[in-house]
Amino acid sequence: FKLLGFLDVKSVPCARESVLYGSLGSFVVGLGHFLATSRVRRSCDFAVGGFICTMLGYWFYCRYNLAQQRIRQRMLKEGMRNKILFEGSSFDPEKKQTGNESSNS
Amino acid sequence: MANHSQLGFQDASSPIMEELIEFHDHALMVALAICSLVLYLLALMLAEKLSSNTVDAQEVELIWTILPAIVLILLALPSLQILYMMDEINEPDLTLKAIGHQWYWTYEYTDFKDLSFDSYMIPTADLPHGHFRLLEVDHRIVIPMESPIRVIVTAGDVLHSWAVPALGVKTDAIPGRLNQTSFITTRPGVFYGQCSEICGANHSYMPIVVEATPLKHFEAWSSLMLS
Repeated sequence: FKLLGFLDVKSVPCARESVLYGSLGSFVVGLGHFLATSRVRRSCDFAVGGFICTMLGYWFYCRYNLAQQRIRQRMLKEGMRNKILFEGSSFDPEKKQTGNESSNS
Repeated sequence: MANHSQLGFQDASSPIMEELIEFHDHALMVALAICSLVLYLLALMLAEKLSSNTVDAQEVELIWTILPAIVLILLALPSLQILYMMDEINEPDLTLKAIGHQWYWTYEYTDFKDLSFDSYMIPTADLPHGHFRLLEVDHRIVIPMESPIRVIVTAGDVLHSWAVPALGVKTDAIPGRLNQTSFITTRPGVFYGQCSEICGANHSYMPIVVEATPLKHFEAWSSLMLS
């Protein structure tokens, strides 16, 4: 399923949540404005604006967290590989650490 | 390689392609927001709720100047980031020359010894069962995985283009000119591409196959090719 024919909400990370939260935000803002002012046309304008702002706002927040997670994953992957590669050798940071502890004690 | 009827990108096998896919998703989300707004305005026009008075005010002039500027900034910043990322100098471990001909590629590994070979498409009649039609070649490019590779692309006759979508690489092969690109493969595998600049009758029949292997296998392969 592609929203408006081009956005694959199923496979793009954060897309589905952005659209759903955007819809919720649109409903809340539009309904809230209507209940406060009883102006239909202006409430619709606010609903569309709310949809766009909520959708894009959640999108940036989610993609930022995703980018941080991916960086952490890369660091973890690199760290695991280096641990296996350098274990027991002079480059092993754990060996240097235990060496410092034993020299301090 | 792409599945049948696939419209989207192939899975990324290099960091640049991962960034390009992320930027593409970001651009599509911005496009969705703009399309939503345009659809709403269209609905208003069809319901005759928009008049020339609505579009004649100073406030709306301000909105439709500032909003497109914001949209352009949202798109330009990640785009420029990737553009500069692609041009980073990263001390390649291996330099590979790709020379386009009508209608095959010649590859040269001249860093250590002179290794050079031609890469022709395997015709469908000679293709073993289970292999990919119009994509397999007789001699693949073998590169070590997780190593920066520099590719220098040129052509021997007409314009060609060396492209591998999974790696996010597409470089024009222009006779008399050397174009440089570089990439790192994040995982081992076989990555397919096709010539991407019209070059004659068999333009569709000069594919590119990159095989990324651990360094040990690459060394074994290069020794075999040299012997």
